[in-house]
Amino acid sequence: MPDLPSQWTPVALVADLPVATSAGTVLQGAEVVIWRDSAGRVHAWEDRCPHRGMKLSFGFVRGDRIACLYHGWQYDGAGVCRYIPAHPELEVPASICVPAHAAAEALGMVWVAAAGTDPGSLPPGGAEPLRSLFVEAPLEVLVGLAQAGLPGAGAVTEARRDGALLHLSQGGTRIAAGMHPMGPGAAALHLVLPAGASEDRRLALVTAAAGLRRAAEAAAGTGEAA
Amino acid sequence: MPMLRTVTLRFEGHLPEASFAEFAAHRAARLSLPHAILMQDAGAAVIRLTGPAALIDAFEMALSLGPADCLVREVRRQDNAPPTME
Repeated sequence: MPDLPSQWTPVALVADLPVATSAGTVLQGAEVVIWRDSAGRVHAWEDRCPHRGMKLSFGFVRGDRIACLYHGWQYDGAGVCRYIPAHPELEVPASICVPAHAAAEALGMVWVAAAGTDPGSLPPGGAEPLRSLFVEAPLEVLVGLAQAGLPGAGAVTEARRDGALLHLSQGGTRIAAGMHPMGPGAAALHLVLPAGASEDRRLALVTAAAGLRRAAEAAAGTGEAA
Repeated sequence: MPMLRTVTLRFEGHLPEASFAEFAAHRAARLSLPHAILMQDAGAAVIRLTGPAALIDAFEMALSLGPADCLVREVRRQDNAPPTME
């Protein structure tokens, strides 16, 4: 399993991971399942059932467990297999487990890191989701363009990188973009806003974000026009 | 209380020794099955295991499929001792 970095990285918007759901993502080539149990806790693990290698992100959440879609093996919040439907009488050994990463929520985003990473370095505060922007381009290409602002969304008065965040002030709106390197040719920005932005402004920013994606993919030679 | 068995499995086929032994050790550890490789060469391996029947079945299935550079053509199974209670 590729190790996750020991720095926190945003991989999704909190709003895109409702209670009792799972989702798959990729961080620097490592496939990760993020899931939220019925109590609202977020988990991040290797996205692979130890039984047959099926992606756990295709599984289903029941209570405080996630079950593999393939044969229904159930794992508790620590990643330990607790129940095998084909052998309901079996006391499952604790060695059947999924490698778990660190997971946290901050600034409207889901963050992951190597197990044991200190949550003290996460950014404080909350935010409202705008959208996640998935782009077929290297992160540095995407961020390099984003630092000039979202196309057509007003004048940029601040563009500052701070760890895994890009802070923009553009057209009177403060935007935080979580920088998510997925692999050599793929990246995402998870965009959030302070509370109170109007619907018209939010729509304009979503449209501008799509323009940023087209520009980044054109620059990387991967877009529709390439 | 699970019923424990001691079983000897003989795998035959194309079995590169290093990768087959490593795969067997990994799967046995994953399933918490004490195991011993009683004999191994490039064409066969004999492994003795003790544990719940369901986990021994899972071990047999896993090794009959892999690792990728091996081709298991036949598995022979022998119960070595009567079932015991843990």
